[in-house]
Amino acid sequence: MKFFSSYFSVLLLLAGILLTAGAKAESSSSTQQQNTASQKQARSQPNGEEIFRANCVRCHMPPSSMSPRTTGTVIMHMRVRARLSHQDERLLLKYLAP
Amino acid sequence: MRIAQRRSELKKTLFVPGILMLSALLSGRLTAQDMQSNENHAQYIPAISGGLGYIHNVNGGVTSLIPQINPVLLVPFGSHVLLESRTSFIGFFQRRNLTSGPFTGKVFKSVDYAQVDWLANTHIIATAGRYLLPFGLYSDRLGPLWIRNFQDTPITAPIGIGTSGSGDGFMLRGVATQKPSYSVQYTAYFSARSDINQLQSARVAGGDASIFLPRARLEVGTSYQRFLQDHEINSVSTYVSWQPLSVPLDIKAEGDYSYNGQGYWIESAYLFQQLPIPSIFRRTQLVGRMQQFFPKNNGGNNLPSVETNRFDFGLNYYFRDDLRFISSYGRTFSSHGNANIWNVGFTYRFLFPLWPGRAK
Repeated sequence: MKFFSSYFSVLLLLAGILLTAGAKAESSSSTQQQNTASQKQARSQPNGEEIFRANCVRCHMPPSSMSPRTTGTVIMHMRVRARLSHQDERLLLKYLAP
Repeated sequence: MRIAQRRSELKKTLFVPGILMLSALLSGRLTAQDMQSNENHAQYIPAISGGLGYIHNVNGGVTSLIPQINPVLLVPFGSHVLLESRTSFIGFFQRRNLTSGPFTGKVFKSVDYAQVDWLANTHIIATAGRYLLPFGLYSDRLGPLWIRNFQDTPITAPIGIGTSGSGDGFMLRGVATQKPSYSVQYTAYFSARSDINQLQSARVAGGDASIFLPRARLEVGTSYQRFLQDHEINSVSTYVSWQPLSVPLDIKAEGDYSYNGQGYWIESAYLFQQLPIPSIFRRTQLVGRMQQFFPKNNGGNNLPSVETNRFDFGLNYYFRDDLRFISSYGRTFSSHGNANIWNVGFTYRFLFPLWPGRAK
């Protein structure tokens, strides 16, 4: 039990550090992004790479490459498994099989 | 008589994959020639994917050798209909007297899912057939051996997966709403009772809802299931999954509740990607997990009958994104006795097209 509580404490501490670092990074990046409206626009519209990076790691290591021959089929499969939207699918295909 | 019975069993086992292979051949003709938008060069051709692995497990001094392969057949019909199926072949071999004698065992075969998906639009993906019961983070998502950080599933994994882990019926899922900063996803399903060989399922109904914040890479969700046969019971799960942007860290946690008991697990995995060490070591992943389970009504349904605590530590090494060496050490604590659990092995994810397709 002692082990569990110490493990839990370390995990919470780590989460706290990451949250603080993340908040700092986000606040500095958001300050920079207020400079131009176009950058803001770009941030509000995620591209295929961002969707790929954000969604694959939810469950597994992202694949380093994928053949265009199988991309359509695999993205359909992932749309079902990961409950991706049609827009996500479209942007992913544009990114993975341009 | 026994040979005839075996033949009959083999026929039943090969029936579903056989039908699927036939569909693959038919769909190849249909799909290889169409489906190319102006935006991309993606093609929709039948493919076979899945995981392959070998685990050497030692649990409380008893050695088990566990080779396995889980091929996933994917057969698209255009860009809106997908036929998909996963069959598991898991070998389980132990010494005849557990700690001495020659290894003996058998290969277990099961059809995990064989479903047709209609990807109608963002909000609706309709599924019919045999599907994995979505409950919490495991089963539907972290089940494949090449995905799991630890090969041993959490103690609470049997909660919410009915009698076989799969359901026979229909399921609706999709994205309820999506904004650049968040998306809300849902799943609802109903499964009928089935005692058909390889297609066993329980009469259950349930659902899952989660919110995903892509910028924070944070997901919070909850699952509910009602078991609708014999003793009707409710099961509930709440889970969190977080992969911070700035650190190659993966944190997952889940709490599960059912008639037979309740418990939770917390898992973290850190990839040495950013450490100032030789690049060859940056493919190493350190994983840890702790879990507790508290039985109710004497446990049962594959759950322990006594309070059980367990921790695991593991070291995985990614030779490539699809091939990794895995190792872990864990220890369970319960009034039935404590035990050390070791796992060493490898996992490999494969993907092959089943149709020639077009050159780009």
